[in-house]
Amino acid sequence: MTSVRYDRATRTYEGTSTPAVDALDLDIGDGELLVLVGPSGSGKSTALRMLAGLEPLDSGAIYIGDRDVSNVRPRERDIAMVFQNYALYPQLSVAENMGFALKQAKVPKPERSQRVREVARILDLEPFLNRKPKQLSGGQRQRVAMGRAIVRRPAVYLMDEPLSNLDAKLRVQTRTEVVELQARLGVTTVYVTHDQVEAMTMGDRVAVLRDGVLQQCDAPRTLYHEPANLFVAGFIGSPAMNLVAVGDERPLRLGDAQLELGRPSDKAPLDAAGAMTVGFRPEALQVGDGPLRAQIRTVEDLGSEVFVHLAVDHRGEPLPLVSKMQPPFDGQPGQSVGLQIAGTTHVFAPDGSRVASTTATLQPGAAPAPVTADSPGSAL
Amino acid sequence: MNATTLRRPLPRYALSESWRRRLPLLPALLFTIALTQVPFVMSIYYSLTDWHVVPPGPREFVGLDNYNKLFSDHFFGQAVWTSVKLTVVPVLGSLVLGAAFALLLDRRFFGRGIVRTLLITPFLLMPVVVGLIWKNQMFDTLYGVLNWGIDKLGFTPVEWVSRYPTWSIALVLIWQWTPFMMLILLAGLQSMPSDVIEAAKVDGATPWGIFRQLTLSHLRPYMELGILLGTIYLIQVYDLIAVMTGGGPGSTNVPYFVFQRSIGGGWEFGRASSYSIVVVLASIVIATVALRVLSNLLKGEEAA
Amino acid sequence: MSDEPKVRAVGEGRIVNSAFGLLAWIVGLVFFFPVFWMVLNSFKSEQDANTSPKLFFHPTLDRYRDVTKSTTGLLSFADAFANSAVVVLLSTAIVMALAIPAAYALAIRPVAKWRDVLFFFISTKFLPVVASILPIWILARNLHLLNTRQSLIILYTAINLPLAVWMLRSFFREVPRELIEAAEIDGASLRGQLTSIILPIAAPGIAATALLCVIFAWNEFFYAVQLNPVKGSTVPIWVTTNISTRGDFLAKLSAASVLACIPVVLAGWIAQKRMIRGLAMGAIK
Repeated sequence: MTSVRYDRATRTYEGTSTPAVDALDLDIGDGELLVLVGPSGSGKSTALRMLAGLEPLDSGAIYIGDRDVSNVRPRERDIAMVFQNYALYPQLSVAENMGFALKQAKVPKPERSQRVREVARILDLEPFLNRKPKQLSGGQRQRVAMGRAIVRRPAVYLMDEPLSNLDAKLRVQTRTEVVELQARLGVTTVYVTHDQVEAMTMGDRVAVLRDGVLQQCDAPRTLYHEPANLFVAGFIGSPAMNLVAVGDERPLRLGDAQLELGRPSDKAPLDAAGAMTVGFRPEALQVGDGPLRAQIRTVEDLGSEVFVHLAVDHRGEPLPLVSKMQPPFDGQPGQSVGLQIAGTTHVFAPDGSRVASTTATLQPGAAPAPVTADSPGSAL
Repeated sequence: MNATTLRRPLPRYALSESWRRRLPLLPALLFTIALTQVPFVMSIYYSLTDWHVVPPGPREFVGLDNYNKLFSDHFFGQAVWTSVKLTVVPVLGSLVLGAAFALLLDRRFFGRGIVRTLLITPFLLMPVVVGLIWKNQMFDTLYGVLNWGIDKLGFTPVEWVSRYPTWSIALVLIWQWTPFMMLILLAGLQSMPSDVIEAAKVDGATPWGIFRQLTLSHLRPYMELGILLGTIYLIQVYDLIAVMTGGGPGSTNVPYFVFQRSIGGGWEFGRASSYSIVVVLASIVIATVALRVLSNLLKGEEAA
Repeated sequence: MSDEPKVRAVGEGRIVNSAFGLLAWIVGLVFFFPVFWMVLNSFKSEQDANTSPKLFFHPTLDRYRDVTKSTTGLLSFADAFANSAVVVLLSTAIVMALAIPAAYALAIRPVAKWRDVLFFFISTKFLPVVASILPIWILARNLHLLNTRQSLIILYTAINLPLAVWMLRSFFREVPRELIEAAEIDGASLRGQLTSIILPIAAPGIAATALLCVIFAWNEFFYAVQLNPVKGSTVPIWVTTNISTRGDFLAKLSAASVLACIPVVLAGWIAQKRMIRGLAMGAIK
């Protein structure tokens, strides 16, 4: 029964002044699949490697179970890791690869082969046990890498972008398999990826990192509907949330329309001063004959849904927006259309934090609003 | 390819870890220190003494006296000049020839492996064999192969070793070290990424242009390596001189000179040591300067 | 990194390629000629060898018999060969035993000052062998090591160790980082990592390094001749005993030379591809 805890864990690389991982606090429950996600340089891999013992801690601590492992060598932490490039031992066979750690631990041969065979069966690797890694396809190698970790029955699995090197279709398929496997084995897993779709579909909870700082750690649904700040709002969800800088003029204006917010569902009222940003997801933006005039730039018809890329004249600049519509959709590039909001709209303060989420509608504007002295900065 | 090619050291756990890292290095390090620094320090000490060994005399401490005499020693100056000739000429000669051979070998043609095998052989031969064979078989005034050819062409035979000792030895050194340079440069040529060349060809570059801009700059580190290693080994040439000319004007480089002054008959260990120390210092300087000069030369070419 | 030359694009002309190929052959044959002639001479009688160069002659193995027969009092080929073999193989083995852990310490889990250490190793080659002979000779005499194989074994180890450390370090750096980390997590100790992972992957590089050490040690002349006047003499010394001041000796010398050089030349020929790979990887990092 092993939980994992990061306690203000920090790591700064030599020669740099900003920490790669800055005072990370994370509590991971026993059996949980926690995903660390973020853009490159966010510190997610570093955080994982700190847990593995491949990076030292400059301050703070890491606990596996009740044990403070901050100064313990990797091989004594009872962990197993799946690497992005699989790191399979090239001159050993699949069976020997999977049994390598057991051999180092001096597990007797019969038990070793039995455990290897068992895991090979689960992962459909039985026909390949005697082959060398270079004779396997990418997907097969990935499974061997997983098998090598599973055989060890560790307290924690660490996975560093294990699916990144697979082609798209295989990735989607393997994703499900990994989730099922993890649920079945019930071992605490920390999983790193840069792909937010992967994060959203796989994690019990997802921790979003940016520049070494934890932005939010919640269940995927919460991240999607209640992003803590502008960064999370823009990072999670594909296509990304429409983010519009509305300055500090009241009433709020979008293009030539007026934005009216309904009752705020939580947090401070909208009299908060300063340059605000509003955000609404593509599915909340309807293309039709709404009050906000826009021009269609491109139409992406995926069959199951249609993404319409639009341009709105907002505060003197062309503002790109995306709308998700259900097929059939007849609009053409170049066409002039009207937009309406029909869904949750978030409001973000100048510092990026979310201050309100509410329903909203667009009303026809009286006259074009003057451009305010505050220049419309892009979303934080 | 490999995402983690940043050379991150594995983390340290407490002080014992850094000692655990040093431990594997210690045997080799201690062994080398014992066998090279001890003689080096002893040489420094001897260089500060006046010490005749035959006939045996006392070893008196004379401070920097030997070094003072060294700078006015006419023969030492000659030896230095000969060393320069016998180092620079072979290094550059074998580098150029090695580069030419490497370029030839970088193409596909029938029997390429055989030609390569033929070309590397001189480097595998024993230097004493090389010296004796060239002296007696190739350079010999009466029966040597070279003079036979020259005679057949109607010219007068050349007394290679006796009249042109420096150039004869330099020629043999070039013959011996060209394969070494060739192998290094061949490795460099074969590690060149072909997509850059293909892009250049599509862009309309001429073969000579490609060679100058792309190939030469890619080969720079390999050439530097060749020059560095070649200089280190060539400064110390002894075997060839011993068997081809036994010293004498024009073929006595500093190592041989030191040998002559010490166990080769001079038996003045003190003064001989001072010459050696000077050679060590000079080697360091030469290697550093040569590398820097070559770097800048090629950097200039790149910018052009 | 492939051993193949670059594929030539369309339009380069097979004629051009063939012309260069022909040139390469000519260059190769001319360059190799002295060696070829030496081998030829080794099968001639002294008279044939010492008159104007002849291509046609009655081949004979007599010269080989001459140089390999044992005469009491003189160094025999068999003895010299045995001495060389023992010295070279043992010193190379010791070099590898010392250099492999050292290269690990410099490449895989680098000590803090690895650059300095590396430079130190190479700088030990700056002191001319000819100079260090004085102290070494004195030390050898005091330790009763003159005239033994041991002195050469120790010295050859010392002269090859810097090169071996330098080259092996570069080969070890070629081992992907992640493999070492995976092995570390899988519980492998230093020995385990070396034997299971590093050595198998770096095997070609290790072979190339060992070969280079063998070449330099086998061909070494100066230390051998200064420290081993009588017993323990090696093949290079034996070769020089085949010159005489009276009479012709070129054929005999040629035969002796061929015998002396064959082991290393054959080894070099067989391993040349590895050596190229070795020199490329081994040195440029």
